[in-house]
Amino acid sequence: MAANPVSEVVKIKRKIYIELARQVLENTIEDKLKKIPYKILKEKDERYRCCIHKERAIIKERIKLALGFDPQLHKEETPSDLLQKRGEEDCCNNIINVIELACDSCPIDKYTVTDSCRNCVAHKCVNVCPVDAIVTIQNKAFIDQKKCIECGRCKEVCPYGAIHENIRPCVRACSVDALSSNSDRKAVIDYDKCVGCGSCIKACPFGAISDSTELVTVCRSLKKDNDDKLSALLAPSFVGQFGAKISPGKIKSALLEIGFDEVIEVGLGADMTSLEERDELIEKLNKDEFLLSSCCPSFKKLVINEYKDLIKNISNTFSPMVKAAQKVKKASDNKTVFIGPCIAKKSEATLFNSVDYVLTFEELLCIIVAADMNLASYDQQKELNDASKHGRQFAYSGGLCQVMQSITNFDLETVKGNGLDECLDLLNKKAEQEIDFDFMEGMACSGGCAGGPAVLNKPQVTKKLVELFADKAEYVKAEQNEFTA
Amino acid sequence: MDIIKVEICIGTPCYLMGARELIEEMRKVETEHIDKIKLKTAHCIDDCCDKAPVAKVDNQIYEDLTPDKLREIVLKKIK
Repeated sequence: MAANPVSEVVKIKRKIYIELARQVLENTIEDKLKKIPYKILKEKDERYRCCIHKERAIIKERIKLALGFDPQLHKEETPSDLLQKRGEEDCCNNIINVIELACDSCPIDKYTVTDSCRNCVAHKCVNVCPVDAIVTIQNKAFIDQKKCIECGRCKEVCPYGAIHENIRPCVRACSVDALSSNSDRKAVIDYDKCVGCGSCIKACPFGAISDSTELVTVCRSLKKDNDDKLSALLAPSFVGQFGAKISPGKIKSALLEIGFDEVIEVGLGADMTSLEERDELIEKLNKDEFLLSSCCPSFKKLVINEYKDLIKNISNTFSPMVKAAQKVKKASDNKTVFIGPCIAKKSEATLFNSVDYVLTFEELLCIIVAADMNLASYDQQKELNDASKHGRQFAYSGGLCQVMQSITNFDLETVKGNGLDECLDLLNKKAEQEIDFDFMEGMACSGGCAGGPAVLNKPQVTKKLVELFADKAEYVKAEQNEFTA
Repeated sequence: MDIIKVEICIGTPCYLMGARELIEEMRKVETEHIDKIKLKTAHCIDDCCDKAPVAKVDNQIYEDLTPDKLREIVLKKIK
């Protein structure tokens, strides 16, 4: 597994975030917002689309989304118009949005014949086609797209592998068939099916699908002249996301320096979640039932959308994010900012008053850069010790299973769904009663949270660093952690 | 032939713009051309953070890099 590569699309997104954050922190956004497309894209820069005007128009659409507005619903307005509207009207309903102007309308002819076709004597493709859509033209097979029913049999039988299956990257990336295209061939998300995992965002090479962000709002609260007090809640997978040798203690100190009032490990919330979930599990087992984990919002949504009969088995325990946020709210009036690798958490947070904002690691790092802070040469440390070893283990696939096995004092049969495809496979088997288990850990991202759409390190490296950090925890078990009370 | 000095900035702006991938690419070059390059990291090179990621090859600064661009620059020097 590779880290999320820093493609040109990713760089543009980050440059926009850094500029926006800088303008908010320096109080210049009202005047300078309209200059961002020109600052990011200079005349001499490499271009990928027809002209620089289109590229800049797309940057404007991205800014609209970054300000929290769906670009499709606000085509007529400029980013500056929308900046004035912030706070007046509710922002995007959906976190993940298609930027139509950026969508390349990828071809939707599903099967095409490539030059590898030899016009062979057997012409198996012609024979197998159930609708006679394949004919030979100019010494090569040709598929009549008006007749083709996209069954794929021609591709299967061709001895040369000459028939190409064309699937849009976004459609291919989506495990729940939530992506399709409209009559203009632009990508469309079916929000009734979408589980908000963010795979399509990572997959689109044109950057035409993106998530809205609360970066501007958080930056406003972070400013020195603002009285808001913010608590940063760092998701367990934060270790190693901010650069080589940037220790957890350094990150805590840096966050306090850029204006956060306190920094707390979400691992503490994970401790609380695991203890409550264990009690729930024992209750289920006494009724001869099983339990599905609830900490990954995409997995939970998948069960709700696709497996109605299994909904009763989803854990009712709140996720580590919510538990940690509730803990903060009990002790203070601070606003809570969850900082994680996840886009689905942005949707989950809208369901709970205790979580005020969600940022990704990527967005936070953009704010750090905008605040002119260089972590590589930063040498301050603050002790960070809120979670037990158990709570910290929530960061990677299999971690939750390990914790559940360790805090129950009987033989527990657990399975883990590592990524949406594995989750689907296990849930299908369970629905058909082909497998048996007591507890299932479901994670939508491959590698668990360490493989989330907004991570900046390789999942396997993150796992190792998290394990090292977990070993340093003051307590091994969640129940030993006095902060959970 | 002299050993080529490659210094890659791992300051936060460069890290965010892909410094890690530059290092990985140079590690590959290091194994393909043993004893030809000397790889180092820096906390900041020349304060040109808006042109990240940045690297210095034999005292010359290169901005807005990608792994491919840096490989090309270094390989030209090796040949």
